[in-house]
Amino acid sequence: MTYRKLNGDERRVLLNNDCSATDWDRIQVAEGFDANRVDRVEFVGSIRIGKLAGHVQLDGIDKPAGVRSATIVNCTLGDNVRVCNVRVHLANYDVADGVCIEDVGTMATTPGATFGNGVEVDVLNESGGREVTLFNELSAQFAYLQCVHRFRPAMIEKLNEMATTYAAGQLSDRGRVGRGSSICSVDEIRDVQIGEGARIRGAARLLNGTVLSEQDAGSFVGSGVQASDFIIAEGASVDGGAILKKCFIGQGCRIGQQFSVESSLFFANCEALHGEAVAIFAGPYTVTHHKSTLLIAGLFSFFNAGSGTNQSNHMYKLGPVHEGKLERGCKTGSFAYLMWPCRIGPFSIVLGKHKRRFDTADFPFSLIEAGADGNCNMVPGLNLTTVGTVRDGAKWPMRDQRLGSARRDRVSFDVLSPFTVGRMLTGSGRLNKIQQETATDVDVVKINGVQVKRVLLRTGQKFYKVGIEMYLLEQVVAQAERALADGESCSSAFAVAEEAVYSDEWLDIGGQLMPRRRLDDLSARMAAGELSDIRAFHQALDSIDAAYAADQWAWVREHYPEVFGRDVVAAEDDMIEAADALLQVRSRYLRQVLADAQKEFSDTSGFGHDGMPADVARDFTEVRGTFEQNRFVEEVQQELVELASRIERFKSDIRQAVPAKKQVS
Amino acid sequence: MATVEERVKDVTARVLNIDPTTIASDANFGADLGAESIQSVELVAMFEEEFGIEMDEDQALSVSTVGGASEFITKVCQQQGVEA
Repeated sequence: MTYRKLNGDERRVLLNNDCSATDWDRIQVAEGFDANRVDRVEFVGSIRIGKLAGHVQLDGIDKPAGVRSATIVNCTLGDNVRVCNVRVHLANYDVADGVCIEDVGTMATTPGATFGNGVEVDVLNESGGREVTLFNELSAQFAYLQCVHRFRPAMIEKLNEMATTYAAGQLSDRGRVGRGSSICSVDEIRDVQIGEGARIRGAARLLNGTVLSEQDAGSFVGSGVQASDFIIAEGASVDGGAILKKCFIGQGCRIGQQFSVESSLFFANCEALHGEAVAIFAGPYTVTHHKSTLLIAGLFSFFNAGSGTNQSNHMYKLGPVHEGKLERGCKTGSFAYLMWPCRIGPFSIVLGKHKRRFDTADFPFSLIEAGADGNCNMVPGLNLTTVGTVRDGAKWPMRDQRLGSARRDRVSFDVLSPFTVGRMLTGSGRLNKIQQETATDVDVVKINGVQVKRVLLRTGQKFYKVGIEMYLLEQVVAQAERALADGESCSSAFAVAEEAVYSDEWLDIGGQLMPRRRLDDLSARMAAGELSDIRAFHQALDSIDAAYAADQWAWVREHYPEVFGRDVVAAEDDMIEAADALLQVRSRYLRQVLADAQKEFSDTSGFGHDGMPADVARDFTEVRGTFEQNRFVEEVQQELVELASRIERFKSDIRQAVPAKKQVS
Repeated sequence: MATVEERVKDVTARVLNIDPTTIASDANFGADLGAESIQSVELVAMFEEEFGIEMDEDQALSVSTVGGASEFITKVCQQQGVEA
């Protein structure tokens, strides 16, 4: 944009409008500047002002563009901005077109600001050692590796270097407010970058941070928010007096209702209301909604915290050195308490006050309940067939709040995957071994700190068997269906792609599932200096993500024979057998889920209050509806019907596509 | 030899820690005997061990009374060729 000095008429208008300047010659304006829209303004230092015409819109109200009642220090104001009632000063900012800044105390950038970039956060271990460096393009995967994989020092060194380099690149003496943003009724903003289309309303104090925002993914910072050393990502909302200190709030997150958070990272679509978080790694979809809930020094993802959930990371010895890991999909019940260090396998439910440490990583989908005797009782695999697990799996993809140009965190939504099914295989094997070695007069056995009733060792294996078989058969039938739809032969579709990678063990890297070997390769490439910057690192992760289906299929091919005693074969008889087996196991699974749902309709306690006995059922039906008409139940029933049709269709298609004569893959 | 129902009551009493003589045939595992969902799973496991049978979880867990459990187990024993 071309600027010029004020002409004589403009200067006279400004003087008439009670404006002053430390040096009028250092004030430059663009074509379309309207001096009549500037009054009671004190200009200090170098100032540039764009065209002033028309209106800005603030919360649905059109307000005239202009600069009024403000002290402006070394700023560039874009076209058609509105800067009004700046009580102390607006200093060292580049304000883009169409921005509205109104009723603000101090808004200033100090020399050498990095806007939250480069801040080191003591995540997971409150005593340090797992620091994650904040920067604008931080992803859940980058942070996870930097925090958790300290046993890969060469990779950590590169990650640190990348983050530090990126942060240094953000260093500036000037802040920026992006196009179309609006900042209203804020007391203090220092060293804060604000992206495009952000809305900041009534925040108390924002210090050293960045509010990433895009026109299509506007971020919101609301009433009473106090934040320091922070980065808030696109489309996030921080509201309701939340207090943030040293933290990253990821894309689509919602933090509010007086939530207090320190030294923590929240990634895609987390929700944190009312409670408190300290030194946590909140992977995608971590949710805590209740007062009196403290999450501390823990690793979470796809997590739901019950009210009063609490943990201890401090044994009054060497300080708060303990860490806890709740793998994806876990939930805690009301007043669940955990004593770190502790590790809980995926999709498990924790109930009660646990005063003992345990590790149930090999036993996903378990229920872990604290007994009155202080023991931690586990029912392995119970949570696999609960309504909650099925509903969660369906709702997460539907609740992705991320908008805008880039989704920074890679999120694998699959509940059943080589990650969880691999754990079930391991868990099942361990349960079987313990069962074989345990005499029938033994009541309970101890496994990694939890107690399991001996008879439930077999039950756990039964639950896992359902999950394992259902997953493998679904993958095989779906692969064949795709082949049939594409006119491809099943035998070629069943081949493992050359580029696929097989690892027995899969990892959950901040919400992205991948074979261990993929990560080992990535780590080696980093150590070798092949990935020079954050963009290259993230591209490598995208490549891993793109290979998910091929890698998963490689895993299925490897484990199918282990479970079914024979390889995946693209022959008619085998495919029909697999389809029938899928129908059987999936139907049985869905019926178990329905049986779990049925329980919700069997207890009418408290209904029909003040009524006659006959009113109990009527009241219950009016409020809760009937089992048959429940939407979830209807969906599962529908799935049962569709599954049967799908299998019939598949069998018919396979009979046509594959000749009766056996075809060898 | 104890009947199926007596054995069902005995197992139920052990799992739920109650006196078997207080368990009626029409007693509901949840509403009357206070079985939580975990205990229901444990009951199924204990019945399987007691009778040497294998039950479908969904069918077994849909049985709500002691009498119903006795009938269901008798049927499963017959299907699986196990003497009850």
